[in-house]
Amino acid sequence: MSYFEEALAAVVLVAIALISLVALRPSLSAARGGRILAFLAFLVLPLLATTMGLYAHMEQSKTTEFCLSCHVMEPYGRSLQVDDAAWLPAQHYQNNRIPRDKACFTCHTDYTMFGDVNAKLRGLRHVYVNYLGEIPEKIELYEPYNNRECLHCHAGARTFEESDLHKEMRADLGSNATSCLECHDAVHNVHELEGKPSWKEARP
Amino acid sequence: MEADPRLARRLRLGGLLLGLGLLIEAATLFWPHPTAFLVFLLLGGVLVAAGVFVYLFTIATYPSPRPRADL
Repeated sequence: MSYFEEALAAVVLVAIALISLVALRPSLSAARGGRILAFLAFLVLPLLATTMGLYAHMEQSKTTEFCLSCHVMEPYGRSLQVDDAAWLPAQHYQNNRIPRDKACFTCHTDYTMFGDVNAKLRGLRHVYVNYLGEIPEKIELYEPYNNRECLHCHAGARTFEESDLHKEMRADLGSNATSCLECHDAVHNVHELEGKPSWKEARP
Repeated sequence: MEADPRLARRLRLGGLLLGLGLLIEAATLFWPHPTAFLVFLLLGGVLVAAGVFVYLFTIATYPSPRPRADL
């Protein structure tokens, strides 16, 4: 449990204790001190706890565990474990080029909760489809993958910038005229996972 | 000093809504799933908002005690 989560738990517990006190002994609110206590218990602390909870949920939704919590995303999680250096997400995940606990969010920063209004609405639709709708056979991005997500880390990196191929198309990569995935095309490829050997993650 | 029964009833209602809302909000934090976020917002958040509304309505409509004339 992080310090933030401990603080949130403390705020919720104090709020519930004070609410119970004022609600069970309403005569307290007759005095000035009691009114201040009621104001804290019934307004300040609940709003603080809700704001902190919202922040905690936003942070939690960046985690790999959150993204893979829906059954339909399970193969995407397995694609991170493929024992093949050509598999782009797998080699990023296994070599710590992205934080493992936030693997999905690092490369999909504009997805659902973190995107624009349309992305948020699509996120709600995903929840609906997950429970009540029909999940499509093939899951695709709504928009072509943005090179920004790759250049966020690779731009300025020596091995990237000094590669002759990259030098030739640097401007096109920056403007998205050419997608990084045109050459680095072994991405999640979830329909090719069958029979692929898996890397066994060492647990310290 | 005994509180006005109407004030006591409203405070209990507001407290119940707030307590329930906070408990639901706290419980969703142990469930890393998109549905948990919706439950947090649409159930916990709405209950907390309703509790705050009941409290604000109570203090806005409750007559403030009159200052004693003999003081």
